Amino acid sequence: MTGADTKKEVIFWGLLAGIFGLLPVVSHNDYHLIMANHIIVWGLFAVAFNMLFGITGMLSFGQALFYGIGGYGVGLMVKYLGKAWFLPGMAAGVLAAAVLAYLLGFLIIRVSGVFFTILTLAFGQLAWQVTFRWYHVTGGDDGIQGIIPPGILGNKVFYYYVCLACVLASVWYLRSLSNSPLGLILRCVRQNPARVRFLGRHVRRNQRRVYVISSVFAALAGGLMSGVDNSVHTNMFYWTTSGEVILMSVLGGIHQFFGPFIGAALIKIIEDVVGSRTEFWPLIIGLLMMTMVLAFPRGVVGEFQMLKARWQWRALERARRG
Amino acid sequence: MSSRKAWGLLALALALVMALPLGVCAQDKVIKIGAMYPMTGRPGLYGLDSVAAAEMAVAEINAKGGVKGHKLVFINTDSQAKPDLAVQIAKRYISSENVHFIFGEVSSGAGLALTEVSSQYKKIFIGTDHASTQLTSDKLQPYYFRVSNNTFQSMAAGALYLKERQASKPWTTLAYIGPDYAYGHDQWNELKYNLDRFGVKYKVVGEYWPKLAAPDYTAFITAIMKDKPDILVGGLWGGDTVAFIKQALPYGLFQKMLYFSPDGGGNYELMSATGDELPVGLALSGRHHNNWPDTAANKKFVQDFFKKAGRYPSYAAEGAYSGIYAIAQAVEQVGNPADTEALVKAFEGMKIKLPEDPEGFTSYIDPLTHQIVQVQAIGETIANKDFPPATRMLGNWKVYKAEEIMPPVEYLKDHSSEYLKGRLPK
Repeated sequence: MTGADTKKEVIFWGLLAGIFGLLPVVSHNDYHLIMANHIIVWGLFAVAFNMLFGITGMLSFGQALFYGIGGYGVGLMVKYLGKAWFLPGMAAGVLAAAVLAYLLGFLIIRVSGVFFTILTLAFGQLAWQVTFRWYHVTGGDDGIQGIIPPGILGNKVFYYYVCLACVLASVWYLRSLSNSPLGLILRCVRQNPARVRFLGRHVRRNQRRVYVISSVFAALAGGLMSGVDNSVHTNMFYWTTSGEVILMSVLGGIHQFFGPFIGAALIKIIEDVVGSRTEFWPLIIGLLMMTMVLAFPRGVVGEFQMLKARWQWRALERARRG
Repeated sequence: MSSRKAWGLLALALALVMALPLGVCAQDKVIKIGAMYPMTGRPGLYGLDSVAAAEMAVAEINAKGGVKGHKLVFINTDSQAKPDLAVQIAKRYISSENVHFIFGEVSSGAGLALTEVSSQYKKIFIGTDHASTQLTSDKLQPYYFRVSNNTFQSMAAGALYLKERQASKPWTTLAYIGPDYAYGHDQWNELKYNLDRFGVKYKVVGEYWPKLAAPDYTAFITAIMKDKPDILVGGLWGGDTVAFIKQALPYGLFQKMLYFSPDGGGNYELMSATGDELPVGLALSGRHHNNWPDTAANKKFVQDFFKKAGRYPSYAAEGAYSGIYAIAQAVEQVGNPADTEALVKAFEGMKIKLPEDPEGFTSYIDPLTHQIVQVQAIGETIANKDFPPATRMLGNWKVYKAEEIMPPVEYLKDHSSEYLKGRLPK
């Protein structure tokens, strides 16, 4: 990374922390806080998902499995042991996701491409079915309500800052990972796995590694969300949740690290602004996605970077001629 | 810029124009009701009918000058029956739109999530269609009121119907087919509880749990035919009932046993979707019927709905219509839509005359459980072309007293929230 890149990176992080950090100070509206919380938590989920998809080239259609485990880890602990178990529940959810992702990795990373996608979808739907039907334990489609974080965490503003700190730390870690030698290998795996093998590196081992990392942060997002909505539901496991996070990534730009985060923010804002005015809001999202895929395949952030590069090139051209 | 990108930008601009605010103009003195109904997908018809009926009630009340100088304002957002989305919408209503009441929901899962929001924000939630008994027992909180029957009431009426039938046409064996999710299981557990409570002797010969929206019931139908119950209790609803009945017809299932569905089976949606195919003699019920009670108020409600929507209402409509009138009556009594605590008192024990009330009975809200107490009628399918496209409607009614079908205190003692526990008689 060049010095200019580092400066830009610092500015971006500053902006991110500043905008979301100041929100409770600027607005005392509860709903703005909830919206911001939804954006950052979904943003983390999308960035974690994109470690698999955009960086390593593994399109998982089952990351909702881990998001749901994170949510239900908290939900079940609070339901059966009391609200003091909120944080241990979150840790249990994350740990369960790590173990499950590690074990599943041996099964599903044996295949690639569409077969990998279908297997992830199958395991995700399996977890959804179990949660949906085991209703004596999970509450079935009624879900689990009354998940109130204990003590000071029960304060909405404080909980928001806890979420923000977790999200920023997680995204920073994933960013570092993406820029590390491991990140480089993962990109190589996406581009040409055969060559990675020729270089003496393990393709599957690295794929499994990133699968576990992505799943852990998806579970963390699910755990954090349970405290925002104060309830968890089987929808968290459903394939549409996995689909939503794919949409966010494509909209923001899968080849830009922060693209999925921006995509998550855009989808949540559109969902809210348009959804409050017409029930046809999925049509608006559909039109938007169609437009993005056909005309702006690099995503919002990718197209912006492209535009910026073009302006810089034109400025250079003008300077050279002048 | 290439023409491809120009077209792309144009499409994007169009999308944004479509998203421009179509907001409701704020008025000085209003009673603002924030509703959440699914407007798409399988429960979409229930949402569409609920919104049409609620808007009808709002227009009627506003045409008469509103309530104590307040105009009613009704806003709805498509919840897609998703609990997380419903929670997000409710929080927006409360924090940004300053609604006085949250309202609606078809799905019990979404209803349970919303009652938590209502409790946290101390905002009254009027439930109009979701039927889970938990909302008025295990999960009851001070700010929740329901204006349509719950599954316990339907199943208690069902148990009484089966008891009567045993006396006139003896039966011994029972089987159940219901969707494999909370609603399906609740109905079956509550029916068995009520059969035991009323001292009905029965033997269960089969339980069948198709998944929600299952396309093919053949395997279940053949199993039912093999088990030969005298009574087949159905817990299916909407398109699932339609699909099951259509698929069971060629097997002659309905000639071999009584199909009995006392909660959602008798919805007008079934009659309009099946026409002449619907066998006569099925015993069904729902939360409202277009042809019962035969009162001027019910006829007016059904015909007014037809004029507004161009179709006859499914049972969800009357719940939403009743909810709006209940709000109007509570505000009329209190005078201020923002005085939540006084409104809670007004709702508790409220007596309100609704379209589904037969002559001589007025619905009321049970002050203990916040559940509306209503008469329930169970009918048999008979030929009737008064409500096209349906050619069958329910008739030969059996009517059950409102108090008889409410959960008894013993039941509530085992199924009560902290709030309800403190209110139960010692």
